[in-house]
Amino acid sequence: MPPDETIIALRDLTKTYDGVRAVDGVTLSIKKGEIFGLLGPNGAGKTTTIKIMTTLSRPDGGVCTVGGFDVTKEPRGVRGIIGVVPQENNLEPELTAYENLLIYGLLHKVTPLGETVRGHLEMVDLWERRDQVVSQFSGGMKRRLVLARALLADPAILFLDEPSTGLDPQIRRHLWDIVRKTQKEGRTVILTTHYIEEAEALCDRVGIISHGRLIALDTPGCLKDTVGGYVVEYIDAEGRLVQHLCRDRAEAHEIAGGIRENVTIRKTNLEDVFIKLTGERIE
Amino acid sequence: MTAPGWYPVFLREMLHFRRKFFKLGYLFSAMVAPLIYLAAFGFGLGRSVHIDRGDYLAFLLPGLVAMSSMYNSYNWIASSLNINRLYFRTFQIYVQAPVSPASVMVGEVLAGMAKGFFASLLVIAVGFFSSPDFALGAPFVVALLMNCLLFSGLGVIVGMGTKSHEETATYSNLFIMPMAFFSGTFFPLEKLPMAVKAVIYVLPLTHTGILIRKQAFDGEGLWSLGVLVLYSLVFLLWGSRMIARYSE
Repeated sequence: MPPDETIIALRDLTKTYDGVRAVDGVTLSIKKGEIFGLLGPNGAGKTTTIKIMTTLSRPDGGVCTVGGFDVTKEPRGVRGIIGVVPQENNLEPELTAYENLLIYGLLHKVTPLGETVRGHLEMVDLWERRDQVVSQFSGGMKRRLVLARALLADPAILFLDEPSTGLDPQIRRHLWDIVRKTQKEGRTVILTTHYIEEAEALCDRVGIISHGRLIALDTPGCLKDTVGGYVVEYIDAEGRLVQHLCRDRAEAHEIAGGIRENVTIRKTNLEDVFIKLTGERIE
Repeated sequence: MTAPGWYPVFLREMLHFRRKFFKLGYLFSAMVAPLIYLAAFGFGLGRSVHIDRGDYLAFLLPGLVAMSSMYNSYNWIASSLNINRLYFRTFQIYVQAPVSPASVMVGEVLAGMAKGFFASLLVIAVGFFSSPDFALGAPFVVALLMNCLLFSGLGVIVGMGTKSHEETATYSNLFIMPMAFFSGTFFPLEKLPMAVKAVIYVLPLTHTGILIRKQAFDGEGLWSLGVLVLYSLVFLLWGSRMIARYSE
């Protein structure tokens, strides 16, 4: 397949809950093999968008195709090529780690099942704990098991909804390594996050979403370029955080020189983009 | 060769069942209701009850088997689906798997049948010790299996449709419990007024009660079997449709 081939396409996608538009006319396309991030605050519509793409939620309007399959007309086609890490660790708490993957593997007709389950439990360092019931696992272990489960059927597309929420930094880095490895193996990865660092560390392209609408979409570098390269920030006499967006380091130093308070000069990040576009913070 | 689509759904329920089986509380809860009814109505009140067909205990025991299979098939599936859908959110892995809604339905129903059948075996065992007139014929076995199938199907419908665990319990209290008492479990229906009979004969457990007490398939038994088959088909199709249309 050509590298720029679109694997997921959304056109005018809408979803309304109790009169509130959770997804409001989202149009975007995701290329095969990229790590694509949906960035936005909680309640922005990221999870609903993922639920539609993974056939868990039916859209009210618009079109969504995943791997060439229409999510409403050919959901089983979509389900055969995706793996999903949902926001919550939806594991069977009273079953063992091995049994959780066994059931998933049978549902997805994984062969050879035993060998594949073992390989995936080893990948997330849980093989030694395979016979332990999941309710005894820590949050990080459960998250790793959910990730192993999502990859068990060798999906072409991996969806991760807030994959590292609640994880300590070390486990978060381990998870990021697995996601990068997943991409190198040829998969497309779509993740939602409200962590700026995660979006910048992992994503080839980022869509910024606010109140159900896609308000920006580009590579992290290009998005940051739209607000300049540097930020000068300080706390003013009334205790408020003041920020100046600057084109380059020279401009930042020039502005900093004229400020009496203690100033910090740092590179711009995606939160600066979000603030400029919406006037709100992400985290 | 790969397993059929219903198998992982069934296996999941059986793995849970295996864990619960070895806990004392499970066996106790499966047995307690029929045994209390047997003690109260059979050995207590039943001593002074005379029915045309002979021994009251021999009349009561098949009814208790039907009731027990209904409760266990229905409650297991309705509660399990409801909790897994709303609380643990594990039902979602079925929805996002490339299996047909009918496969999920069949897996759930077979699991409910297994649970209901097992609970019934316990009551049957008690029955053999309690009454020399208690016997199992072919209609008994068919009625028992159909009852498990039918109420497992109903369990899927309620488990899929309710928005909370409390709502599931409400359906149980409003429909299942009254049905247990008014469908001929404890007393014959022949002498009831026609208007009451008309309502009671709509209830599926009534027809299980009729068929399960037959020694052979006669006209009335076959009619009841037809009603049970019809109910089962409707519930299977309805449940499959609900799974197919599942959306968050």
